[in-house]
Amino acid sequence: MDTNPETDPAMLLFSQEAADDPHEPYRDLLDRCPVTRSETGAVSGEAGGSVLVLGFEDLNWALKHPEFLSSEGAVSIGNDRPLIPLQIDPPDHAKYRRLLDPEFSPKKMAALEPDFRVLVNQVIDTFADRGQCDFHEEFATPLPSTFFLRLTGLPLDDLPVFLQWRDNIIRPDVEPGDMDAAAEIRAATGRDIYAYFERALDERSEQRDDGLLSRLLDAEIEGERLTREELLDICYLLIIAGLDTVTATLDCMVHYLALHPDERRRLVDDPSLSPAVVEELMRFETPVMVTPRTVKQDVKLGDVELRTGDSVTLVLGAGNIDKTEFVDAETVDFARGRNRHLAFGAGPHRCLGSHLARLEVRLALEEWHRRIPDYRIPDGAEFHFSPGIRQANTLPLVFGNGSS
Amino acid sequence: MKVKVDAAACQGHGRCYALAPDVFEPDDHGHCVIPDPEVTPERESAACAGVENCPEDAITLEDD
Repeated sequence: MDTNPETDPAMLLFSQEAADDPHEPYRDLLDRCPVTRSETGAVSGEAGGSVLVLGFEDLNWALKHPEFLSSEGAVSIGNDRPLIPLQIDPPDHAKYRRLLDPEFSPKKMAALEPDFRVLVNQVIDTFADRGQCDFHEEFATPLPSTFFLRLTGLPLDDLPVFLQWRDNIIRPDVEPGDMDAAAEIRAATGRDIYAYFERALDERSEQRDDGLLSRLLDAEIEGERLTREELLDICYLLIIAGLDTVTATLDCMVHYLALHPDERRRLVDDPSLSPAVVEELMRFETPVMVTPRTVKQDVKLGDVELRTGDSVTLVLGAGNIDKTEFVDAETVDFARGRNRHLAFGAGPHRCLGSHLARLEVRLALEEWHRRIPDYRIPDGAEFHFSPGIRQANTLPLVFGNGSS
Repeated sequence: MKVKVDAAACQGHGRCYALAPDVFEPDDHGHCVIPDPEVTPERESAACAGVENCPEDAITLEDD
């Protein structure tokens, strides 16, 4: 790792090395400068610089004070208007959450458990006899995406198109640092996404189905139906968030468990540990490394004076290994008593899909380890994780007779 | 001793009712409700798990 103190902190955090193994740069920056100004900017190095926040206490404060640190316009991912509810500040934010929270509530998610467990096994069936698979491509990608399309009532045949859009938006295929080319790809993809959902909403306006889109068409806030723009701004967020983060989470967790057979054995021997495994690996791996904000009122955080309009990058993954909050912060402990990790954020923007994500990841780990308890990454396998949202480009595994 | 949740601070993480379903329950939005705030000795460790794991610090124990 680059340990030159002159190196811009954002360059350390958004490097390929950091995406593959972020703990060293997290630790280095936590020790040196838990709040620090970076010249090169936020998630993907856009112009203007950004203030990085890494310490747990400052992150916790920042996430809970949207009157100082706004989510509005903090980042554009090809969208013309703020995504709902992600890029809306309180108080308007609350009315959308009141509408959407029940759609993703723990009770509603728990009812999906039997269906999801069947789907996990169907996906495993596609490669179980082969003794090897690309975990990312054949398991972590189709599983949450398929389920999400079912929930929203969108056709499974469109999945390849959605996955292409997801990649165009989150990790556009451009030369590193070519932000203009990335913005162009995102803008073009954004137009395709709006057009697709215009059609999907038109069809469901004619005839309702039992998916989320149809329910949103009938939903009301204070006696008013949602406008077409509001519906589109919700759909845009759901499709991007629903297709990417659980895939990344599964990649990160199974990568960890493949490299740590003793921890894996504990889960295999006692599947009732699975909720604790999910929480601890959410903390330790933090698949969504960062979340952006914009300063709305001047405020001092750590030693840094934040000025109105400054871009801020909240480095959730660093806070999750901050020893001022976590005992033995860099040790994975499935029996950890106190775990207030920030992997799903905190404050009003707490991840809307967190209960769905927890259910999917827990059931995926339970069924995978029931059927494939022993596996490893083959010698010489080459793969990398993407910066920002840590998704593997490929994750080859061998198991059964091939694993020993 | 009584266990309380600050409804304005709760953001529906659901850590409390996942860890201690005998003390904490979700409402239809996923926010925490406490049907019986009385913390008997046998419910104390469950109530503490909720306090310790709430990312919003919304749950507190109070002496009678």
